Amino acid sequence: MNGDISQLLPLLGYMAFMIGISFYVRHQQQSGLMNNFVKTYFIGNRDLGGFVLAMTTVATYSSVSSFVGGPGVAWNVGFGWVYMAVVQVTAVFLVLGIFGKRVALLASKFNAVTVVDIIRHRYKSDLLAEISAFIIVLFFCATMVAQFVGGAKLFEAVTGYSYVTGLILFGAMVVVYTTIGGFRAVAITDTCCAVMMMIGIMMLVYFVLQAGGGYDSIVAHLETNRPDMLEPLSGGKMPYGLYLTQWILVGICTIALPQSVVRGLAFKNNKSLVRAMLIGTFVVGFMNIGVNLTGILGQGVMTGAPADYGGTDSIIPRIVVTAMPATLASIAIIGPLSASISTISSLLLVGSSAIIKDIYLHRQERKGNKPGDGKLRILSMLATAVIGAIVFFIAMTPPSLIWLINMFAFGGLETAFFWTLLLGLYWPRANKTGAMLSMVGGTVLYCLAQGMGFKIMGLHQITIGITVSLILFLIGSYVGKPEDKETLGDFFPE
Amino acid sequence: MSEKEKYLQIRREAMWTGITLLILIVFWVLAGFGLAGVDIKVFGLPLWAVAGTFGVWIFAMVLVKLLTTFVFKDIDLETDGNPSRKGGQP
Repeated sequence: MNGDISQLLPLLGYMAFMIGISFYVRHQQQSGLMNNFVKTYFIGNRDLGGFVLAMTTVATYSSVSSFVGGPGVAWNVGFGWVYMAVVQVTAVFLVLGIFGKRVALLASKFNAVTVVDIIRHRYKSDLLAEISAFIIVLFFCATMVAQFVGGAKLFEAVTGYSYVTGLILFGAMVVVYTTIGGFRAVAITDTCCAVMMMIGIMMLVYFVLQAGGGYDSIVAHLETNRPDMLEPLSGGKMPYGLYLTQWILVGICTIALPQSVVRGLAFKNNKSLVRAMLIGTFVVGFMNIGVNLTGILGQGVMTGAPADYGGTDSIIPRIVVTAMPATLASIAIIGPLSASISTISSLLLVGSSAIIKDIYLHRQERKGNKPGDGKLRILSMLATAVIGAIVFFIAMTPPSLIWLINMFAFGGLETAFFWTLLLGLYWPRANKTGAMLSMVGGTVLYCLAQGMGFKIMGLHQITIGITVSLILFLIGSYVGKPEDKETLGDFFPE
Repeated sequence: MSEKEKYLQIRREAMWTGITLLILIVFWVLAGFGLAGVDIKVFGLPLWAVAGTFGVWIFAMVLVKLLTTFVFKDIDLETDGNPSRKGGQP
């Protein structure tokens, strides 16, 4: 199935559709973009309904590694992996329930456009705001590279076209449509992506069952040959510690990811928030169970050891190629690629808002300058395109171990923002000293621990990062001065 | 609703969202590890493998439904200081 052009048509059509959406949105939002470009471009007009809010939150959060790397491991580990992945059903309702309305109300008070705006107002510190923006850009770039690489590798394995062709086809296109359409285009394309992910999963499940000789025969095979895959600890492959860290890393602490919290600035009303919590929980569960189950069912198709197939990362591409007819494979692959592009688009936009709104615009305003909308329009789009281009070129020469890069960045963002946001928004005593110590100290220590491979009791370094940043936050908050009355009055009205 | 009442209501919702998480964690432990030794088959699979995955998913949806029905209230999401904006109420 190498190099057949018809293989590419579904993907080409899909990407063209995405770009069409961005032009349409651009046209539709013309008056908003004329009056307040930065706000309209970076968060839309606060008009997301429940369905779109749920889909964009889930699509941004679900990355290509949840579609390729994860299910590959499930193929080898079994139901323990699904049991672990299902903790992600918390991801949507937690962030929207804890931060959704809080952030929305504060944003209306301060006219905020970014999460960093809120941090700046809460802690009255430009330095802290700029450090936040820097951390966001840094870790987002790492995540985006991982998404590009994962998507392009999958593309290469399934279609037979080169890695670079794939990178250009979906990678360059996502940069283009995000640059043109801004937040609203991201939200709508994310929704299409989430739908395609679900369709892709359903197709995969169907064909894997067919190829494996039916459900009963696959289960019988597992019972006889791989009983370990039917135990929660999976014969030692799934230690309790892994479950614990996954709860922290991909469950609880994901509420602090800036790309998720920013959705609190964008929903229309109470009803859309509540609907999004329900729909989001349904969708995230459907995807995580469905995709990892596909990995397990893949046992019916491939029964060897992981090394026989070139590692667990190659399992899903192999399943697609062996179990599906070529024409359908080229449609099914849109699902995982959607997971990749929907994450990239949101990160790209939040990254560019960090540079333009949180650093550039704020510095100009402090100097008393007020850049015109025309200038901001060009700069905002330029920033989006440039970040996209940089990440794109890094991905041309891919670093290895995508899954790890993705998780590294997840942990870094959580360490930096979890306590700063949670305690900042619900604990009056939280102050600048605590936030600064926690964000800088926690993140630096987390990166050091990652770099040196240092672990405590064999647990992922997120446990070190999140604990250290809590301790530093509390020390700073009790040693330093509380914020002034006016700030506290804004955040905790009497 | 005054600014203070709004804050207290939002804090209450956040707290109950946290409690929902705790309940879900307990359910997750019981449905998975708790049932791991039980010798019952569902769809040919051990009970824990179904309860700990599909069960947790369904239970989470039920909890969120309860949470949003009984704890979440409609709040005007505009501040008093910024009355020009609209869209706070459904």
